[in-house]
Amino acid sequence: MSVTTAAGGPIAHKPAQRSIARRIFDKAASTPGFRVGLSIFVVLALATALYPELSSIDPTKMDVKARLLPPLFLGNNWSWAHPLGTDQIGRDMLVRSLVGLRYSFLIGVASVIVMLAIGCALGTIAGYFGGRTDAVIMRLTDAQLSIPMIILAISVLGVSRPTIPAIIVVLGVSNWPVYARIMRSIVMTERQREYVRAAKIGGSTDARIILTLLLPLLLPPVLFTSVLDVARMMIFESTLGFLGLGVQPPTPTFGNIIADGRKYLLNAWWIATMPGLFLGLTLTSINLIGASLERARNTVHGGGEG
Amino acid sequence: MFVLNFLMRRLAQGALIIFLVSLLIFTLLRVVPGDPVRLMAGGMAPEALIEKIATDMGLRDPIVVQFGRYIGGVVRGDLGQSFVRPANGAATGGATFNDTTRGERAKVLSLILEALPMTLQLAAVTLVIALVFSGIVGIAGGLAIGRWPDKLAFYISSIFISLPNFWLGIVLALLFSVKLGWLPAIGYRGFAYTILPAIVLAVELSPVLIRTLVSSVSAQMTEPYVAVGHVRGLGRGRIIANHALRNASVPLLNLLGIQFSSLLGGVIIVEYIFDYPGLGLLTINAVLQRDFPLIQGIAIVTSAIFVLINIIVDLVATTMDPRLEY
Repeated sequence: MSVTTAAGGPIAHKPAQRSIARRIFDKAASTPGFRVGLSIFVVLALATALYPELSSIDPTKMDVKARLLPPLFLGNNWSWAHPLGTDQIGRDMLVRSLVGLRYSFLIGVASVIVMLAIGCALGTIAGYFGGRTDAVIMRLTDAQLSIPMIILAISVLGVSRPTIPAIIVVLGVSNWPVYARIMRSIVMTERQREYVRAAKIGGSTDARIILTLLLPLLLPPVLFTSVLDVARMMIFESTLGFLGLGVQPPTPTFGNIIADGRKYLLNAWWIATMPGLFLGLTLTSINLIGASLERARNTVHGGGEG
Repeated sequence: MFVLNFLMRRLAQGALIIFLVSLLIFTLLRVVPGDPVRLMAGGMAPEALIEKIATDMGLRDPIVVQFGRYIGGVVRGDLGQSFVRPANGAATGGATFNDTTRGERAKVLSLILEALPMTLQLAAVTLVIALVFSGIVGIAGGLAIGRWPDKLAFYISSIFISLPNFWLGIVLALLFSVKLGWLPAIGYRGFAYTILPAIVLAVELSPVLIRTLVSSVSAQMTEPYVAVGHVRGLGRGRIIANHALRNASVPLLNLLGIQFSSLLGGVIIVEYIFDYPGLGLLTINAVLQRDFPLIQGIAIVTSAIFVLINIIVDLVATTMDPRLEY
């Protein structure tokens, strides 16, 4: 498989055999970065899905006798029961981190879906119809890009009560313009092609062309790019949590665990640092996958982002 | 003449953007729940007093009327007064409602002008660190596509982009300031206090810079003029330094303009962690205290800075590459 994917030139002669999305994926999957990222991600995903249930430790249960235990092999009273130690009121750090990872990942994926939906819909419409529709949508996009969204986001969440749907909407709404631009530029080149013109002559409506011809072809490569944004949104979510504007305690998230642990930094450094290491590892795996996919997309597509 | 035309057009666009930002933030702040008067007067104040203060301050007028009054002031350079901060001393939020010692409330503009130079200093140090570091890694990677410098650049940027800035801030403060005692971390009493926050911000900024540099340098090296340069007898070092890098730096410059708004998010967090008295710390406190005039003022000033930076970036880009049009 690696022989056919490594050479970009020869397969260009018979593109009908495999779709573009398939080619991008195969090319990315052959890089070491993608494999490393994927294997870390699978391990973490399994741990996140299974460990909190299997170990049957409640992430909010306090245990004053086992408070401030250090992680494995560090200090002198560590125990196998709490591999990452415990916090100031004896809650298990590993379970808390894993539950936090669940929320973080769900919010990351959901907000990327929101931004893809808004961005791709507007971008496709702008690119397909052109003219005045295009001008209006693109000015809107420019205006949004030049507004410091972070200030808007924290103002809205800070002044109202941050709930999970509100966080998802705020994150999604503040980041869609990039996708509108990407989608617009691809759709604009694609709508000149013969098959689109043929469909038009054949009497297809615009909606039918967009939904059955353009989107299935153009969306998958954009989806690959959006993997990187899942990681960005996860960082954003934990940042909000750190400021106290994310998911509220007692639900553990990376942000509020670290904000909490900061107070005990000098006598229990692991409370603030261990969850961050976890988050960093997760994000690195997602970013390695995303960056490999994006590189593959750029080589296969020849820089379709332009 | 062209430059003047360009400047006029961009400044007009910029004014429109700033107007939109202020309209947006003004409406949002008044639509979302949360009453600032309750916070100003204190939890024990009777309902009638709260209504009286709110009416006196014009907070019960229709939003359009309030916005008209506000934007009228902004045009004359008056960003209003902070809800909670006195002109001197600590915040008044939470004090009893009939406290006579409460002084004059601080002007938003002077609060911002006090904090802005600190943030600009932080931004300058960050830019220097980020540009030097990503310059070395990115150019080396772009000159050796497919070999180890390229792979190193790929992994460095993948890891750096995955480090949450608030976590990195805490870890670096713990390491360099508590354990090793090399650098001070909390507050501001001299230039040394800028270094740690700037390193954290530079780590956040450099992955994008490295990626752009790698791709733009490698793209420039395949251009015909590089091969022609070899034929003309120019050394490799000279071709790279004088020709390729100059062309490759244009995308980098454009990127810096766009990155400003994401860097702003980092500045807010980093200043909050290191208690660095700049615009970011001011923003966080304003949001947490529901200080509407201050939040609006900061939004207006930052979008103005954003507009200016992008105009400057475009001007510099055209001087570096005269083929670009205004």
